Amino acid sequence: MPDALASVELEPVEQIHATLVDRIAKDELKLPLLPQVATEVLNLTSDPDADMAKLATLIQQDQAIAGQVLKIANSAAYAPRSPIVSMQQAVSWLGMKMLGELALTVSIENGVFRVQGYEPEITSLWRQALASGLYAKEIARQGRHNVEGAFLCGLLHTIGKPIVLQAVLEIQHSMSITLEWQAFSMLLDVHHVQVGAAAVEKWKLPPQVKEAILYYRDFTQVPNPSPVAMVTCLADCLASNILGLDLLDATTMETLPVVDALNLYPDDMDELHGQADKILQAVDAMVV
Amino acid sequence: MSLKNHFDMLVIGSGPAGQKAAIQGAKAGKRVAMVERDKQVGGACVHHGTIPSKTLRESALNMVRFQRTSNVFDFRLRDDLTVPALIERLDEVIQAHSAFMAAQLDRNQVTRFHARAKFVSEHEVEFTTPKRTTERYSADVIVVATGSRPRRPDNVPVDHEHILDSDSILSMTYLPKTLTVLGGGVIASEYASFFALLGVQVVMIDQADRPVRFMDAEITDGFVQAFQATGGRYYGEQKIEEVKWDGLSKVMTRLGNGETLDSEKMLMALGRVANIEDLNLAAVGIEPTPRGLIPVDEFFRTTLPHVYAVGDVIGPPSLASCSMEQGRRAACHALEIDPGHPAEMVPMGIFTVPEMSSVGITEEKAVSRHGGGALVGRARFQEIARGQISGMTDGLLKLVADPQGKKLLGVHIVGEGATELVHIGQMGLLAQVEIDHFVENIFNFPTMAETYRVAALDIVKQRPR
Repeated sequence: MPDALASVELEPVEQIHATLVDRIAKDELKLPLLPQVATEVLNLTSDPDADMAKLATLIQQDQAIAGQVLKIANSAAYAPRSPIVSMQQAVSWLGMKMLGELALTVSIENGVFRVQGYEPEITSLWRQALASGLYAKEIARQGRHNVEGAFLCGLLHTIGKPIVLQAVLEIQHSMSITLEWQAFSMLLDVHHVQVGAAAVEKWKLPPQVKEAILYYRDFTQVPNPSPVAMVTCLADCLASNILGLDLLDATTMETLPVVDALNLYPDDMDELHGQADKILQAVDAMVV
Repeated sequence: MSLKNHFDMLVIGSGPAGQKAAIQGAKAGKRVAMVERDKQVGGACVHHGTIPSKTLRESALNMVRFQRTSNVFDFRLRDDLTVPALIERLDEVIQAHSAFMAAQLDRNQVTRFHARAKFVSEHEVEFTTPKRTTERYSADVIVVATGSRPRRPDNVPVDHEHILDSDSILSMTYLPKTLTVLGGGVIASEYASFFALLGVQVVMIDQADRPVRFMDAEITDGFVQAFQATGGRYYGEQKIEEVKWDGLSKVMTRLGNGETLDSEKMLMALGRVANIEDLNLAAVGIEPTPRGLIPVDEFFRTTLPHVYAVGDVIGPPSLASCSMEQGRRAACHALEIDPGHPAEMVPMGIFTVPEMSSVGITEEKAVSRHGGGALVGRARFQEIARGQISGMTDGLLKLVADPQGKKLLGVHIVGEGATELVHIGQMGLLAQVEIDHFVENIFNFPTMAETYRVAALDIVKQRPR
């Protein structure tokens, strides 16, 4: 911690905040590596010449991921005709893109959304990320925007939160202080955008993902008009709503600026609300 | 109804047809309102149709121009070429066009509303905003110009992810390796030719033996040849039994002959349907046709004399140019203004690569009308100096004349610049110029206008002695 900060009498949360700001400014925040499998899955599924066998082999290389993927593939949300017992069978049942999406999701969960001692909070963040990804696809489909990329934008728009949480834990440990979850939550909220954007840049993810992270809270600031931030913003709101994190009634939700920006009429919103059960089912299936 | 909520003319829809109707009404000094369901004015033409597709076309053509100069520049397509990169100017173009149109409407004091509209009585329309607020407005004259949207046949599960339509095709972020295009109409042919030119393996599938059947067969043959030269394939006379995303990596198209074609993506372009559902036409007794269109008379009046319908909502030709004129003429008729002589002939312009365009009657029609004696003159672009200079050697201009080879009856062109070149023929047809005029008069040299002289000479030498 810099001397200048140490000399000032600050509340613990302010001290951590100041340290975080300092580390971010100096590019000293430890950003996790994108799990190797996730990187390879991303490369493979975006390669039009890739074959299914390669994907199955790749996922099998990580037993933990393979096990989770098979568990999800056998869940009610994906309704297999008969039990899926092999990765090859999973590829054939779910399809390369969906299996790739699942493997990516699971490996991000394993690599980033794991913070010991904060399992319920992390699970809540993870469920919100998943629901946002799934909702983003439906919003994009409805608005004739890119559906394929919407999932990743929704899934990763708050990827900064578990990273900030990990950093805060380290800092509080080094300072021998303990914060309440409310204080954590405030720090996550303040810093996740910048940290998340830095992480996905480091992971060399598509630029739309960074755009979604940077602007989902204020889509009017996007330098070039693009629906990515708007879609992610609404996906975030709808996901929080169905998960009970931010309860807005349907009428209040229709008054959100993003609904107006996406030119959604009440029946369009009704259609999106109608997807809630399907999305919750898929989220439940993916949270192992 | 308060005076504030009453207008002389209310236009529903802000596409080319609605816009021209509103401007005509305003220029006649009337109090005009326009209601549009989208945030911006312009309709599908600006946001999903003409403007976006032509922007992609321009990029594809720019690439061809670069490729032609490959002996000067080391040019090759980037492996990671994305669709957004190809249409990066699109937002700029749309914003500029939309802003221009909005400014024109504002300048003419057309009151604009952002809402959906539905009839509640013969003169009253209810507006519902995205925020669910409603308000009623009335008008002496109502012009319906709500346009159209892609048709969704039951056997083609459009998901806008793997199976796309013309509203979502440009949301793709990368160029697929393979693309199946269902349909053989204007939209199908245009997109098929653009993507083929961009290196995508494109297969067009349609029931007809050739695409764009309303055009002269020799012209569409020229288009198909050019399309196939870029690696595309036209698969005609095929019935589509089933289309499905296999859940793995491809869209499967099962044909009536039992054959199955696979592709990475699909564009479904099997026609369009009129946007009439939200209008509550039943409330005013307007009965749509069996094809879901609003029936109108020669003045674009519906069964209610003060309610007009123009543009795609009344059906073919569904060309922006015609829709604009329909809008203007409908407003003129409603306001008892002389609209001038109706356009005797409408040029058809199809922005495929290469372009196709025509005006007047086809060779087939001329033959049936004149008992088999119609004379046809042809000029191939490769014979024209300008064609050689510009590298535009694949093209054909065809003049159709009466059996004496005197009277011009039709002009049909395939090749780059066809949609511009056709206007010389259109003016000739309107002025009833004789074939000899094209021979005796001087055109700039070297220009593509020379094709008219070459084709006219071809007719002259076939004249009966």
